[in-house]
Order: sequence, then structure tokens, then C-alpha cells
Amino acid sequence: MKLQVEALETGYGKAQVLFGVDLEVAEGELVALLGANGAGKTTLLHTLSGLLRPWRGRALWDGQDLSGLSPAQRARLGIGHVPEGRQLFPLMTVEENLRLGAAFLAPGRDGEGFARVYALFPRLAERRRQLAGTLSGGEQQMLAIGRALMGFPKILLVDEPSLGLAPRLAEEVLLALKRVAEEGVGVLLVEQNAALSLEVASRAYVMEHGRLVLQGPAHALLEDPSIREAYLSL
Amino acid sequence: MELLLQTLLNGLLMSGVYALVATGLALSLGVVGIVNFAHGEFLMMGAFLSYLFFALQGLDPLFSLGLAFLAAFLVGGLVYQGLIRPVLPAPELNQMLLTFGLSILLQNLALLLFGADTRVVAPSYQAATLTLGPFFLGAVPLGAFMLSLGLLFLLQVFLTRSRLGLAMRAVAQNRLAPGLLGIEADQVYLLAFGLAAALAGVAGVMLSVILYASPTVGFIFTLKSFAIVALAGLGNLKGVVPAALVLALAEALVSTYLPGGGGLVEAVFFLVLFLALVGRAWRSP
Repeated sequence: MKLQVEALETGYGKAQVLFGVDLEVAEGELVALLGANGAGKTTLLHTLSGLLRPWRGRALWDGQDLSGLSPAQRARLGIGHVPEGRQLFPLMTVEENLRLGAAFLAPGRDGEGFARVYALFPRLAERRRQLAGTLSGGEQQMLAIGRALMGFPKILLVDEPSLGLAPRLAEEVLLALKRVAEEGVGVLLVEQNAALSLEVASRAYVMEHGRLVLQGPAHALLEDPSIREAYLSL
Repeated sequence: MELLLQTLLNGLLMSGVYALVATGLALSLGVVGIVNFAHGEFLMMGAFLSYLFFALQGLDPLFSLGLAFLAAFLVGGLVYQGLIRPVLPAPELNQMLLTFGLSILLQNLALLLFGADTRVVAPSYQAATLTLGPFFLGAVPLGAFMLSLGLLFLLQVFLTRSRLGLAMRAVAQNRLAPGLLGIEADQVYLLAFGLAAALAGVAGVMLSVILYASPTVGFIFTLKSFAIVALAGLGNLKGVVPAALVLALAEALVSTYLPGGGGLVEAVFFLVLFLALVGRAWRSP
């Protein structure tokens, strides 16, 4: 199955943010979407998961037009979203946060989900009775990803998971996402950390001012001189 | 000493109903995010429902409890769908004006239908008391206290064990994430608002026996509930029971020990609200 974006335009109020974005992510591949602050990456993810309406253009899931579907309906179709800032339920335990991930999207599959998430992030298993609000930044990010995985998404949109994390933790989180993709989930990874993302991704897009300006296999982009200069500061 | 203990006992028994009403208010505030000035009017409806069934059918208020729960849940759901939902995206002031207006409308409707008299539901056991050593316990307040705690316990189980309960707490803690997890927030709001009304409706039946039914009985409880919720911390459900206990005990002490205390009881919640707000301001500068 494939998530396709066609000529997507949107914005807030009168301010247009996206100017015709075409992109696709298939199950089982990890695709990075790179770009500076304010390029429109988060806006794109919000439009894909239904938090924001497109002005023009559309998003297709397995050929089905997603226009008019609520975030919850899209989630039920298998589109998972790990939003910017993690958006956990701080007064609930790790386990309750995870249970909520499964409760409405994969009822009855909790056991399977817990096993999968705790295998991916053993640290969450140790902290299962702890309140989510008391976790460290890295653990919170793991929980946010784990919570989305509990719903068994076919495509996972992940917004800046490395933000605010120590380099070692950021790498741990991105490697976990790579494993998720290897297990068959399509991952669209939005990142500012280009070097790390290109290490784990198979393909990548580069966004500037609401337009995709570059795309290609990750290794090719790693070699691209303009990328090296603008995003890898080499 | 005995007088003090008896006073505290009276306060304790009253705290259950207070907690029940205030929990409803905290639900609509914490989950739906609306300041519902008409919360007490659901209580008033429950009280009049109990009175009507008792006066016309001779129905024991014990049976009215379930009916009031269902009726208030239904009315709460309709109020949410028809009035609250459209105003949710609007500024808070508009929301408050709406619920305040609804409160006034419902009070005056009740005034039109039932008149301003206070009506008491007086089943045979209304004045029954139990003696516990030197102390007296009203059977009805004791029953209301136990029933309120029982309902709050059931609510707690619902919120921690069931899928919908979890969703309700989730919506209260984060507005963005629930949708991404397949939760239709709007349906959760509807359920929470209906449940909040239902709790008030049940409390209204209890109060129709302990206190009375009148068009304005609800509004006093709206104000008292606000004092309790402010003391507990906005939207904090767990803090509601201790906060309700504080208010009920304070009222009992004032009514026993202050000269002319009976008339001052209805002002105690202002003091509690004032102290709670001042205390909060000191704690988080």
C-alpha cells in the first residue's frame, strides 16, 4: 500500500505554506523529509493526518482520496502520526499511554502490541508504571512512537523525533524507526538532522519554502554538494 | 466535644453529594473544556423529577434515582449537541454567556412550571435516624453519602478500566493526540457532558429529600461546585472528594458555632473559593 500526495497546497488563514507538494511513501520503506525550520514539513504531516485541510491537491491512500476524512478515520485506515512535541498524556502511566494507542485502532491486539513496543524500546518496559510526564525526553519520544505503533499503522508519519535529544539517543530512536520500516511499516520521517536521517533512510525529499526542491536515494543526496553545504555543513 | 464530633459527622455526610455534583462540573470543565454555569440546573431537574414522581405517582425517590440519571444524561446530551458543540470553537466568554443564559432560562422555566415554593419529597423514612453511641446519623444523608461514594467509585473504575473512560481522560490531557489514535473527540465530549449532567441529576434526587426542590436550588450548587473545583485544581477529578469534604466541614462548623450561623452557611463557599484562589496565587507566583 502506498501514500501518495498530489499537488498539495495549504496554509493557515491567508498565509500559504505548501505550494504544490508531490510525494509518495510505500509500506516498508523509510523516507526522510528534510528541510529547515518553517519549510512546511510539519504542515504537510498535519494535512496528511487530517489535522489541517488542504486548499488544493489531495492525498491518496492506496488509491482512496482522503479528503473529508477526520484524523480518527485516517488513523483507522492505518495512517499513524507521531506529532511534533510528542503530545503524550502526561498524567497517565507509560502502559496507559500505550493501551490508548491500541484501544481504538487495534482493540484486542494489546498483547501483541506491548510485546512489539517493549522489544523495540526495552526501556519503556522498565518504566511501564511511571507517569509519562516524568520520563526523560528520549523516553518520551520512544513512548510517542510506541503509542503510535500500538495501533499497527501501515504508514507512520514521524515529526522531528530527534528534536532536543542527545546525539546518542537521537541515533537510537532513528535506528528503531529503521527497524520499524524493516518490519514492513512505511515511515515518513520529518527531520532537521539531515546527516542522521540520510544514514537510516532509503529515499529522501528536501523541502524549502513549501516546495520540494530535491529528491532521490539517500546515498545520492549524501553525496550531493548542495546538500552537503546547506544541510550537512561539510 | 460531642457537639464538635456530631458537627463534623454532619459535614462528612453532606460531602458525598457535594463531591458528586462537583465531579460532574469537573468532568465538563476538564474533558469538554466548557465552563458550565447551568450544571446545577441538571440537579434542579433531578430534584423536580423526584418531586413530580413522588407527588403524582407516590414513587419512592429510590426509584427516581435511576430515572433521573437517564433523564439528565439524555438532556445533557441534547444540550451538548444543540448548544455546547456549536460554541466550542468560540471564545470562552461566549461559552460562559451561553451556559449562564441557559441557567437563567431553565431556572425561570422551572419558576413558571412549579412556582417559587420549595418542595420537599418526604418518604416514610425521611426523618429516620440511626444512633451511634452519643451521635445521630440521618438515615437519608447516610444513604446519600454511601450512594455518592459508590457512584464516584464506579466512575473511577470506568475512567481507569474501560476504553471509553481512558479516552475521556486522554482528551482531558491532550487535545491533539486523541484524534491521531482513532478517538473521535466529539463523541467523547458528548459522553462526558451527558455523564456530568447525569451525576448532577442523581444528586438532585438525593437533595429533594435531604433539602428540597426549588427553581434556584441548582444555582447554589453550581457556585458551591465551582468553589470545590477551584480548591481541587481545575479539571483535577481526584482532588474533588477532599475539596468537597473541606467545604462541607467548613459549612457544618459555621452553622454550629457561629452565632446566626444558619444564615451564613451559604456564604462559606465564597470564603473557600477566595482562600483557594489566594492560596493558588501564592503557590505559583
